[in-house]
Amino acid sequence: MHLVNVASRLGAAEGKEFHAPGPGDFEFPPLFGDGTFFTKPMLIIVLGSLAIAALFYLASRRASLVPAKAQFVGESVYGFVRNGIVGDSIGREGRRFVPLLTTMFVFIAVMNLAGIIPVLQLPATSKIAIPLFLAVISWAVFNYVGIQRHGFVGYFKNMMFPPGLPKPIYLLLAPLELFSTVIIRPITLTLRLTLNMFAGHLVLLVCILGGEYLLIEKGGALAAVSAVPFAFSIVLTFFEAFVQVLQAYVFVLLSALYIAGALADEH
Amino acid sequence: MPPEEEPPPTPPVAPVDAYAVLSYLLGGVILYGGIGWLVDAWLGTRGFVAAGIVLGAAAGVWLVWLRYSRP
Repeated sequence: MHLVNVASRLGAAEGKEFHAPGPGDFEFPPLFGDGTFFTKPMLIIVLGSLAIAALFYLASRRASLVPAKAQFVGESVYGFVRNGIVGDSIGREGRRFVPLLTTMFVFIAVMNLAGIIPVLQLPATSKIAIPLFLAVISWAVFNYVGIQRHGFVGYFKNMMFPPGLPKPIYLLLAPLELFSTVIIRPITLTLRLTLNMFAGHLVLLVCILGGEYLLIEKGGALAAVSAVPFAFSIVLTFFEAFVQVLQAYVFVLLSALYIAGALADEH
Repeated sequence: MPPEEEPPPTPPVAPVDAYAVLSYLLGGVILYGGIGWLVDAWLGTRGFVAAGIVLGAAAGVWLVWLRYSRP
């Protein structure tokens, strides 16, 4: 099983030169040999989804007034999304979106945290397809509830014509409003999450592989210096854990804000 | 059973998130800069790109102000 990107690491071993990690480190060969399609990011998605399903199954099974550990964790996450994200942005009406947003939050958080879980050590969300698809879901939901609430024409009229402006100004602002809401929003959602995870993983790779190179390939006095990148990699791992949870929060908060905006009567 | 506190009926403050503002700013620059670029390519001129980018940035900032400055 190719859990580490063999091709690029082989190159590093041959040349005795340090190959800085790059986008190539995010390309994985199939796990079970040529001709199959199942790669490491897919493995992470499957394992993560199973873990999330198991958590919520344990949390909801035998729910009791005095919660057991799994139930406590499940309820804490659910309560956090409900009160901390939805309650502050959409309000009481947003309760029907809590299950969706909770699932999204936990899924993104777990996919991100795979980046610092030993052996896995790859945030699955650094592959753009995953944030992109989540952004498409979020995009479809906020447009759908907006159209459902205001009607097709009403929704776009509400979106493109903020009230209280002289008419000629709408010529300038209405296309911009449409463009930024319908096209830019899903793009920024996707890129923010993808690139945060991509960059974070790359920084960790630089520290760890750089330290490994100094320790093993260079040796001597430089081997002692390798303590510095290794120490940094530990600090940065904690920092990454923070960023990974934060980005899951940001993604879900923005989705909630977009839903709130689509539901609002007038901006 | 989820925890029993009710979320507040209406948001206490207008939900302003700096990240949400980003799409207006980017949208302005990309949309009007893009239109300027197309005009340049069409007429064989130069300068509409720059004008479009500046106009789009200004429109984006203005739209942010309109959307989020309300009390």
